[in-house]
Amino acid sequence: MYLELAKRNLQRTKVRSILAVVGIVIGVMAIASIGIFGESLKTSVLENFKEIANEVIITPAYSNGYSKIDESDINKLEKMVYAESVIPIKSDRLIVEYKKKRSYTTIYGMDEEDVDKLFDADDGSIKLKGSCVVGYRLAEDKDLRVGYKIKIGNDKFRISGILKKEGRRFDINPDFVIFVSPKDFEKISDEGCSMVIVKVNELENVEAFKNAVEKSINGRKEKVNIFELQLITERIDEAFSQINTFLMAIAAISLLVAGVSILNIMLMSTIERTKEIGVMRAIGAYRQTILKIFLLEALILGVIGSTIGGVLSILGGYAIDMIMLHNAKYLFMPSTAFYIAEGFFVGVVTAVLSGIYPAWKASKLEPIEALRYE
Amino acid sequence: MIQLIDVKKIYKTEFYEVYALNGITMEIKKGEFVAIMGPSGSGKSTLLNMIGCLDKPTSGEVIINGVETSKLNDKQLTELRRDAIGFIFQQYNLIPTLTALENVELPMIFKGMSKQERERRAKELLKLVGIEEVANRRPLELSGGQQQRVAIARALANNPPILLCDEPTGNLDTKSGEAVMQIIKELNEKEGVTVVLVTHDPSLSEYAERTVRIRDGVVDVP
Ligand SMILES: Nc1ncnc2c1ncn2[C@@H]1O[C@H](COP(=O)(O)OP(=O)(O)O)[C@@H](O)[C@H]1O
Ligand SMILES: [Mg+2]
Repeated sequence: MYLELAKRNLQRTKVRSILAVVGIVIGVMAIASIGIFGESLKTSVLENFKEIANEVIITPAYSNGYSKIDESDINKLEKMVYAESVIPIKSDRLIVEYKKKRSYTTIYGMDEEDVDKLFDADDGSIKLKGSCVVGYRLAEDKDLRVGYKIKIGNDKFRISGILKKEGRRFDINPDFVIFVSPKDFEKISDEGCSMVIVKVNELENVEAFKNAVEKSINGRKEKVNIFELQLITERIDEAFSQINTFLMAIAAISLLVAGVSILNIMLMSTIERTKEIGVMRAIGAYRQTILKIFLLEALILGVIGSTIGGVLSILGGYAIDMIMLHNAKYLFMPSTAFYIAEGFFVGVVTAVLSGIYPAWKASKLEPIEALRYE
Repeated sequence: MIQLIDVKKIYKTEFYEVYALNGITMEIKKGEFVAIMGPSGSGKSTLLNMIGCLDKPTSGEVIINGVETSKLNDKQLTELRRDAIGFIFQQYNLIPTLTALENVELPMIFKGMSKQERERRAKELLKLVGIEEVANRRPLELSGGQQQRVAIARALANNPPILLCDEPTGNLDTKSGEAVMQIIKELNEKEGVTVVLVTHDPSLSEYAERTVRIRDGVVDVP
């Protein structure tokens, strides 16, 4: 019955109630759609890192005087249960002769199938038997084509392929590099293995793999450093979450405005209904009952506004996703429901909080003063 | 039943003090019909509000059914008003958003009565005051006389032993006023309800068994 009474009071000042509801709708929509979009953005960015998230990069512990990773340790890595693939990389900077011009260039010694696994050829094919593969930018800078010959040290190599442009990777960047087979590498350089990229079979096994390496290779002395690329995705996740919280807090300001408008219309309402409050107190309503009726009105405004806002924020999230990401496939995630629920909750709480002061004021009216009010 | 002992009420405003009640001592017995008469501004409404526990005296004591009301807290006063006192105001004071029936139900809602029971009783009461046919209309759709009858029905909702009426016919034409007074009179005679009627209209005092005259906040002894 109190609910019915509250409802009718809101209907009595329809335009005002609708405006208050609209305020809440906008606030809830702003919060929830920004939340939804932020999550979509994060997911789409993280998607790019999905391939490398289960990679671990092992480098020599230079600070302990190690400058290469021993062959025996690489064997140990290959035997570990969690290791899906192990890619040892030898590297050196050597003078390379391109059509009479000479310059220092990074040379990687890697197995042909490993290069093939990590990268794609833009031109030619990836073949390292007596030949080499060149990174995209290097080829561009030095004007190299498939079939050209270059001289590294005293050995000549035919270029069998040019790689696709990679941009930034977090493990190795092939764009300025020449790849040769490990056998050829030994002929031109004394350097050993400077990096091992291990792909762990499952993301959740990365930690276990890391521990195993610590035990079997770093057991006596720290010989290698271990870096999990998973850490990068964790940082990105964290950074996006912070940005999202910040954006949602800004959106919450619109809800604050809605709250103030509820406070305002309910204060008006208490003044207009002073006499009614007096009547109700006279015929047996407790202060608490008056408080309840007014809080119910705020609650109704909050629930209606938040419900509409929640529903519309799906559309809002969809619209922002389409505009910013040009696709909406990230809309249907559990987090979307979470942000709608959060927006709804914050909307209802704002409305009720805004109603507390007017309701309290109404309940504090003395019966006779209220009754005498005209 | 109702006792007032040296009741004073002083309204203090920023600029002046009004001695609305200046030491009133009186007693109203159970089942009595008392008219309180006096010119406008003599303190009649103030006195009735004291009896109805809507306001507190500056000094003195109001005793209802043997209970010293000065010792009650807000919650207890609310319950006393709800259960022991029915109010009828000059302005009817119905809740505009509620239908006639719902207005009558309101005191029973405050008491926590079940929906079924209070609806049945509210219909009964509207029948008693002779307007059951407008039960679903809102106050604005009712004539003044009908509104005052709804107010009477509402005042009787929780079956209070005391009915306080402040100029109940003040806004009504003679005919509706007479009808309303007839209902109040019957309640007093048939149900034994104690009635305190405030009026400045001498013709209404005919309904009362006893008339108390007040002037400038004191009982005027002729
Ligand atoms: N809240 C108030 N503040 C100041 N003066 C008041 C107040 N209520 C009543 N009065 C004064 O008290 C006196 C008695 O008022 P009231 O009891 O309403 O008289 P009546 O009902 O007999 O016309 C009047 O002079 C009135 O102006
Ligand atoms: Mg008066």
